Amino acid sequence: MIETVMPAAQGVLLILGCLLFAVGTLGLFRLTDTLARIHALTKVDNLGLGLIVLALLPLAPSFLAGLKTLLIWAAALAASATAAHLVARAVHAGREAPGAEDSADD
Amino acid sequence: MTSVATLPAVALIVRSILLLLVWWVLTLGDRSGLGFGVVVAVLVAWRSVRLFPPSGYRLRPLGALLFTGYFLSRSAVAGLDVARRLLSPSLPVKPGEITLSLRVPDGSPRWLLANTLSLMPGTLSALLEGDRLTVHCLDTRMDVEQDVREAERQVARAFGLRLPSADGAAQ
Repeated sequence: MIETVMPAAQGVLLILGCLLFAVGTLGLFRLTDTLARIHALTKVDNLGLGLIVLALLPLAPSFLAGLKTLLIWAAALAASATAAHLVARAVHAGREAPGAEDSADD
Repeated sequence: MTSVATLPAVALIVRSILLLLVWWVLTLGDRSGLGFGVVVAVLVAWRSVRLFPPSGYRLRPLGALLFTGYFLSRSAVAGLDVARRLLSPSLPVKPGEITLSLRVPDGSPRWLLANTLSLMPGTLSALLEGDRLTVHCLDTRMDVEQDVREAERQVARAFGLRLPSADGAAQ
């Protein structure tokens, strides 16, 4: 029973995860302002990566390898929160100095 | 707050041990790289104490666990929420910004709040100046302030802090 359910569940999680990445990228095209695009990229991609990590966890050859997979997710979460904040701050700095606006809006 | 947690030497040791644990996981417990790992962990911990001196606030184990659960569920909701908006033909977004004053103290609690808000539904920490946080909202029709206050309560609980009941005045 478990032998058939597990791979199916993992497959579903993997496909959902990849679809979420695609949706996050779709956000880059559909949304128009920089900060709204950041919302799409950080939040949707994190969930996508989370589902992929969940799908891969049962395949980890050892306990440590599983921890390492979780660590990758945690590092990606921290990196995207930090990057999102930095981009947002750059957009604000660009608004206050009108000359820099073009570069911040790209 | 003048507990042991504010001493740089204690922070250096605690952070070195945590980094060494990360190294141990990264190298899958391989002993041959351990010497190098100790050197890197201590150097990075030393830099981190110089850049981010200990603020004296420490996570409570149970509080941190509860916060992790809260954060994971909220960030899953955030992903689904944005995905739903992006896939909807009418693209229901109304970007805008609000500025509010935080009640959690400066240091790790405020840092944790600002970073986790960016991964929660509808909010993105844009600017943090003193206790004034500017949040970019994907949809200003949502009650963003209430969400931020709830996250703030959760962060305070993770650190075992009591928030002042009145709005505004932090500290």
